[in-house]
Amino acid sequence: MQMQLGIGAIFAALFLILYAIPNWVSSPSNVRNIVLSPLFWPYILGGLTGLTGLALLLTGRQRLGSGDPVNEPIDDPRQGVLRLTAIAGLMVATFWVMPWLGMVWTSMLAFVALAFLVRTRHPVTAFVCAIVVPLVLYAFFAHVASVAIPQGELVRLP
Amino acid sequence: MSLIDSVMAGLALVGNWEAFLSLAIGVVIGVVGGAIPGISATMAVALALPFTFPMQPINGILLLLGVYKGGIFGGSIPAILIKTPGTPASSATILDGHPLAAQGEAGRALGMALWASCTADFVSNLALIFFAGFLASFALSFGPPEFFALILFSLTIIAGVSGESLLRGALSALLGLLLATIGLDLVYGTNRFTFGDPNLMGGLNFIAVLIGLFAIPEVINMAWHPTGHIGKVQKLGSKWVTFAEYKRSFRSIIRGSFIGVFLGSIPGIGAAPAAFLSYSEARRKSPNKANFGKGEIEGVAASEAGNNGVAGATLIPLLALGVPGDVITAIIIGAFMVHGLQPGPMMFVLNVDIIYGLFIGLILSSGILFIVGGLAIRGFRPVADIPKRILMPMVLVLCIYGVFAVNNNIFDVGVMFVMGWVGFVMSRYHIPAAPFLIAFILGPLLEDNFRQSMLMSGSSPDILLRGPITWFFWALTVISIVAITRGTLRAAKSKD
Repeated sequence: MQMQLGIGAIFAALFLILYAIPNWVSSPSNVRNIVLSPLFWPYILGGLTGLTGLALLLTGRQRLGSGDPVNEPIDDPRQGVLRLTAIAGLMVATFWVMPWLGMVWTSMLAFVALAFLVRTRHPVTAFVCAIVVPLVLYAFFAHVASVAIPQGELVRLP
Repeated sequence: MSLIDSVMAGLALVGNWEAFLSLAIGVVIGVVGGAIPGISATMAVALALPFTFPMQPINGILLLLGVYKGGIFGGSIPAILIKTPGTPASSATILDGHPLAAQGEAGRALGMALWASCTADFVSNLALIFFAGFLASFALSFGPPEFFALILFSLTIIAGVSGESLLRGALSALLGLLLATIGLDLVYGTNRFTFGDPNLMGGLNFIAVLIGLFAIPEVINMAWHPTGHIGKVQKLGSKWVTFAEYKRSFRSIIRGSFIGVFLGSIPGIGAAPAAFLSYSEARRKSPNKANFGKGEIEGVAASEAGNNGVAGATLIPLLALGVPGDVITAIIIGAFMVHGLQPGPMMFVLNVDIIYGLFIGLILSSGILFIVGGLAIRGFRPVADIPKRILMPMVLVLCIYGVFAVNNNIFDVGVMFVMGWVGFVMSRYHIPAAPFLIAFILGPLLEDNFRQSMLMSGSSPDILLRGPITWFFWALTVISIVAITRGTLRAAKSKD
């Protein structure tokens, strides 16, 4: 695991230094000193990431197979990956649907979907909470905290 | 006017039930606001501000100060119960508070958080009363080079929150520093990793990053392993904090209080770094060092002492110099101005009754916080008993509302989700999240002060060692690095 991290950090540092910083950080042409340039700090951080990656790689090689922390195993890794894909999809859908459907309705659907995904043993409670929690939060944020909660284009709440 | 006359004048101003009630209501609003992720102490103070306009100046300001103090403690409640810090200041409380909750000892953690908060709050108030003038003049002598040296030293606290591997902690911190560079460059106004998106020009929203990093990975982890929590108790528990535990943690509480007072008196640092520094120092000095991060009650005490120690001290530059120490005091300064008061040296001459009235009110606030906080712990008790597979969807919805409410921006919700995945991957690779957060907070301050120093000196690095304050912090940094290196080498040897 430590070696994987080290290799990942080295690749990330190379990507930053060779591609990301030159292309995605702009600097005015009249900067007289490198230490004042907007590029200076990202390059320093990129270099330090590379060095840390190297150190991780070397220490990882020294203790190959021993001393690495272990994650708790799960019974159904394939199902787990499917659930992870589903929750990623749920997050993407929540983000894109919210402006159209409104935060309250989107939250209700997200609540039900997540409760289903984690196989709740209290489906009725989950369903009631899915309706009540977003409504209570809406009432608080919209009417007490005066936050303009997105209402969406379908059903508008008072 | 003699000191006794000033105290009597202050007492005459606050010795009535309206002032007491304002303070108590403020503390209640603060605790509830702080306990709701996304509201935060800052937002609670901002929301309460308009309600103070028709009030007497002293009552209005006391209400806001009550909200501030209540909010800082309130943030620890969700941090301990659901691993979602109610305010950025309570991020460090998660490190040991949540593991205690997972062991079925949430009540003990919350009790210690309350005791440590009230003690630190009291120490901070006393510091405000006795050292306002002295500390304000010291803080006034801080320029960019001094800030740079101080923040560089503060970054060494990363070692204290890195857990088992310093290198993983360093990698986490570098990731935090890199993400903090997103946005417009503060000197030249050019784009850095913004991809032309206006939402990224102001940088990543801190609350979205914070909640994304700590709360969302729990939700994702629940999807990965829905039955993983079965057998692990998550209850308030019947065990409460004992006086013996408080006594054992007392040194860390007092140390944390003074760290909070010191950092709080310097404008712009804030409560979160103070909490992490206090935690790191407590871990370094504790005989139970190995238990930190796994549910050590002293860790909760140190974090809460650090962040509450800041609460009174941020008023030092506000009252003595008219300079707000953080965002909350910047809002409170608005309340002073609305009531025709101008904080600063002249206020000690023209409105000495209000100054002493505030001092008396602040001392009272520690006691009120103890009572209200105790009730709040019992009030939020049901949260610990909710089945986890109902709680996690609730956390998700609460996070969506809370993060959106900070800037009224759906983009921040997206940032929170992305950071949630970053946090999940980090947890799978056992990379600690706390160094990321510290670096994300301190990174922009470090870079800005470095570049301002370079601008001041015409790019000469000599300015970074220009006086006794910078020498002091450089020396502390060197000593810390030497101590960290020795500790790491010793740990590696003992493993072999």
